[in-house]
Amino acid sequence: MTTRRVKGIGELPRDIPPARDLWPAIAEAIQADLAMRVVPDGRRRVGWWPAVGLAASVALVAVGVFIGQGIAPKPDGRLAGNPAPVTDAGMVKASLRQAEYEKQREQLWTDVQNKLNTMAPAEREKVGASLNTLRRSIQEIETALGRDPANALLQELLVSSCQEEMRALTVVRDSGRQEL
Amino acid sequence: MSEPRIHSLWALCALGVLPLAAAANESSLDRKVSADASGEVLISNVSGTVDVRGWDRNEVQVTGQLDEDVERVDVESSAGRTVIKVILPRGSNNGGDAMLEIQVPRGSSLDVSAVSADVSSKGVLGTQRLKTVSGEITAEVSGDESEVRSVSGDITVHGGGKPGSLRVSSVSGSLDLTNGAGKLDVVTVSGDARVHMGDSSEITARTTSGEFELHAKLMKDARVSVEGVSGDVTLDLANAAGLALEIESFSGDITGCLAGNVERASKYGPGVRLNSRTGDGSARVRAKTLSGDIEVCDR
Repeated sequence: MTTRRVKGIGELPRDIPPARDLWPAIAEAIQADLAMRVVPDGRRRVGWWPAVGLAASVALVAVGVFIGQGIAPKPDGRLAGNPAPVTDAGMVKASLRQAEYEKQREQLWTDVQNKLNTMAPAEREKVGASLNTLRRSIQEIETALGRDPANALLQELLVSSCQEEMRALTVVRDSGRQEL
Repeated sequence: MSEPRIHSLWALCALGVLPLAAAANESSLDRKVSADASGEVLISNVSGTVDVRGWDRNEVQVTGQLDEDVERVDVESSAGRTVIKVILPRGSNNGGDAMLEIQVPRGSSLDVSAVSADVSSKGVLGTQRLKTVSGEITAEVSGDESEVRSVSGDITVHGGGKPGSLRVSSVSGSLDLTNGAGKLDVVTVSGDARVHMGDSSEITARTTSGEFELHAKLMKDARVSVEGVSGDVTLDLANAAGLALEIESFSGDITGCLAGNVERASKYGPGVRLNSRTGDGSARVRAKTLSGDIEVCDR
């Protein structure tokens, strides 16, 4: 993390390249998921991909906010602090996606809780513990990212953990549905 | 007749009737339909077992025992597609057990969906898609493309040793994979995974708190990508041509016989990383964790 004080937005780099090209893996996952979602008789299954995609985009925005919090000048001239009021069109869009994600995530957790209540006690405990582990791991990464916002490893782990949370929640919610 | 003798007779009668009473609560199943040699077999069961075996006949045979809570089992076959479905009474909350033994043509592709039923398959050469919520899965897979999924049940997979593509995912169940080859994609949350792969071209794994242990023989230009949060990762990789390693942990350690050049990831912050190369470095290996330790070795 830089210790130099940024005096104007013009001093910030226009582009920050990712640590590696994530697109090939994403494109492959999309193709694989599309292939898996088409059942033999032509019907399409509702998969976890939309929720996962939303989680990824929102986690990327969250990473951007962390970085922004780390380097944006505050009104009193100090570095870091609360995000500025949302005025930019891109940020408005991002905020809407964030709200949509939070809503979907909250709904998924509610649905999963209902699902867990129908499970046998031992299974409920085992699956519930796993999901809580996932939630705690995201909090741990966010905490670490708060201290080191530009860390590429943490950014990558946050994105994939948010995706994994949505995937696991969807899997548990949809578990036991008869598909035939 | 004396009173003790009468009691004994009653007891004998009761003992004789008990098995009959138990049998009255179960029914047996024996159905056979013709099927394509390389057709598709779809099976759905809620509770009990699904035991699938490949055989050399162009027929699907379904045998087994059904609880009284099971309404019926539908077995239908047409246009290369055989569907076996356990039907429970509408609104039934009790998962009536159906213990199914199913023989399918060896070249079939298989799709099994279960809730708390254990699933096993053996001797089926086509694509397999096996999933259960809390049951265990034990499978032999050798098709080009297979998928095995569970929520809390443990998974044991034995590969055919020839290159294919396998996806395995679990939330809290563990995974034990032997004799895999080709491409593998593993996702677990808290379940541990132990993987033994032969010639491998691409391996990706993601775990949150489960431990991940990989023993693999990597082909030239193979790709390995492992990501963990708090689970430890062990990589035991063989590749004659060489490895290019890109390993990093935020607060865990990097150890093993290839961990000679571990360096701090940042001058001021936490983290260690290992970027090194053996031979021509044609097989690329990435492993990243938040707090899990990473052990990497090539022998």
